[in-house]
Amino acid sequence: MSTTGGMFAVLKEKVGQVLVPGDEFCFGAEETISLSESAKPERAVCGPGLRRSGDRLVVMKSGVLRHKPPLTFWIDSQQKRYVATKGETVIGIVTARAGDTFRVDFGGSELASLSYLAFEGATKRNRPNVQVGDLVFAQFLIANKDMEPELVCIDGSGRANGMGAFGAGGLLIKVSLGLVRRLLAPNSDIRLDLEQLFPCELVVGMNGRVWVRASSVQQTLIVANLLQSCDTMTTQQRQQLFRRVQQGAL
Amino acid sequence: MAAGFKTAEPLEYHMSFLKENCRPDGRELSEFRTTTLNIGSISTADGSALVKLGSTTVICGIKAELANPTVEAPGKGYIVPNVDLPPLCSSRFRPGPPGEQAQASSQFIADVIESSEIIKPEDLCIDRGKLCWVLYCDIMCLDYDGNILDACIIALLAALKNTRLPKVTVNKATCKPEIDLKERHELPVHKHPVGTSFCIFQDSILIVDPTADEESLSTSRLSVVTDEEERLCSLHKPGGTSLSAEKLQTCINRATARQREIQKLIEKVLNSVKAAQ
Amino acid sequence: MEVSAPSNVSLREFGCEQSLLSRPDGSASFVQGDTSVMAGVYGPAEVKVSKEIYDRATLEVLVQPKVGLPSVRERSQEQCVRETCEEALLLTLHPRSSLTLVLQVLHDDGSLLSCCLNAACMALMDAGLPMSCLFCGVTCAISAYGQIITDPTSAQEKESRALMTFAIDSKERKVMMSSTKGSFSVHELQQCVAVSQRASERIFQFYRDSVRRRYSKSL
Repeated sequence: MSTTGGMFAVLKEKVGQVLVPGDEFCFGAEETISLSESAKPERAVCGPGLRRSGDRLVVMKSGVLRHKPPLTFWIDSQQKRYVATKGETVIGIVTARAGDTFRVDFGGSELASLSYLAFEGATKRNRPNVQVGDLVFAQFLIANKDMEPELVCIDGSGRANGMGAFGAGGLLIKVSLGLVRRLLAPNSDIRLDLEQLFPCELVVGMNGRVWVRASSVQQTLIVANLLQSCDTMTTQQRQQLFRRVQQGAL
Repeated sequence: MAAGFKTAEPLEYHMSFLKENCRPDGRELSEFRTTTLNIGSISTADGSALVKLGSTTVICGIKAELANPTVEAPGKGYIVPNVDLPPLCSSRFRPGPPGEQAQASSQFIADVIESSEIIKPEDLCIDRGKLCWVLYCDIMCLDYDGNILDACIIALLAALKNTRLPKVTVNKATCKPEIDLKERHELPVHKHPVGTSFCIFQDSILIVDPTADEESLSTSRLSVVTDEEERLCSLHKPGGTSLSAEKLQTCINRATARQREIQKLIEKVLNSVKAAQ
Repeated sequence: MEVSAPSNVSLREFGCEQSLLSRPDGSASFVQGDTSVMAGVYGPAEVKVSKEIYDRATLEVLVQPKVGLPSVRERSQEQCVRETCEEALLLTLHPRSSLTLVLQVLHDDGSLLSCCLNAACMALMDAGLPMSCLFCGVTCAISAYGQIITDPTSAQEKESRALMTFAIDSKERKVMMSSTKGSFSVHELQQCVAVSQRASERIFQFYRDSVRRRYSKSL
């Protein structure tokens, strides 16, 4: 352990390594000294998979430790089941209408509610045209363990900002949450590879649902199958496969 | 005030007592409730006993039946224990097929019988490969207030000690068993296993003989079964908070002390039953 | 209270594969010698109102034997696995939801309960459920000559005088679960606990290696 960074130095050393639940990081004695010396104490941000317990930082999910400067740490794990988080955008399926709200299935442990008024331009008179069975791209306004999750299709200023009902002529598939995060990452290599194949529309929800539409049904299916197989491949394998598709299908 | 506190914050209520090394019913942490034993309470059974641990009441009846031994073990009889937790004994049990707790308890009792060799299955054999005894040990809970396993084992042991099997001879000519109900003999009980159950509160506080409330609030349960030779017959801990080897040793020591107390109690009650006859 | 025990702990070869099933949220198969168990985890999912707990998730464990229907023996195993998992999982983070763990026995050649525990732990990890620590199962048999055999086969189990299965936690190597058969002395018990604790080191290292293998593609 180095004397300057204490726990964070140990944490940074472990970045990129695989950790399992129960792994602990202690706030060292020197940490408190360094904290008092600097005028502004360093504040670490613990992302998913990390939990503070007393004077320790405990890992609670297996996965790869990631770091973003200055002091943001999280565990990148491959999961299938989505747990609602405030602010994340997801693809939901409208399953029922109940009074002034829609009930939306987003793949979590319970249904989320989506108000009639939470669409751009919606008023009491002018209700949005959303039917049971439609897909909606929406954002979590409320998501915590003790309350019913609530979705909205507008941002803070009342604009749709890409959200709302959608889904004509495309295909909805389910992929792992890890793949979704890789697709949404800035300059995602999978997305770049895909763009080179043929033009297609993608709607990616953080809940592991991806909606695809390309110019023909055949191409839509190819993209869907490629995405689903991306999960279990290394970068080289993927690029090889994409190349083969490009040569064979076009 | 106290009643309200108990309802609103049951865990806090119990912890405030445990911090002072006592319990809501006035016991110390390692103190059992009063154990009452009545032997031979069911006259129609071949052996029976009723046990009360505080308000937990368990009755055990033993019915001996003649049967054919299994092909795999021609020289052995068998014992079939069953623990019944009827809706009568507590509101937590519903009518219908036995719940998980009843099934787990039955399995635990069966394991204890097998592990401790309380009865040797060879002793139940009458005619090798042809005839043997089956002992149906039906244990029923009449009032559920925690620590059912300890009560079940005491009831079972006392009932087995009380069991008188009629003499059976196989008629050579007709090959039919002849039962002489007048001439009965005692069942040889080889070991005297006694269980001691513990509950762990807040990862560290060990209490013995938990009530139903304490059981539901605790983070872990542990049952230790020992016999008179201080050998362990079972150390059953179905998960929950982890326990260090030192704490385990404390539990075992308490269990051996408890074994002696109960064995003495059973002997005393048996003697008084004999004196009365 | 130091207990001397033979220093070598022999475990049969074990193997594990994670997320091999497509439908469950987490799955794993665990193999110890010829004993093999497959585990699948669903959840956090919607819970039946009758089973809802207001401040934590409801965990259900189902043990499916290789042949026939689950019996009283499986119920008792389910209870042991469930209460061990409940302790390791941070159930309060998903209140009013349900977790279902299904353990399918593929082949039983001794040490079945410990194999079930190991498969359960790997499957829970695969599902990405929040856990406070890991746990592993170790079975010890005491032979007729008083020798301790770790991870026995079913033939060794049959010959043994006593059989003990422990679940050990990864934090302090303490005993989370204990289930025994046969009679034994206090000293033998302590020896078996010590041996299991040592064996757990190897199993936890194996857990770590197999998780690393699983994430090798995203490193």
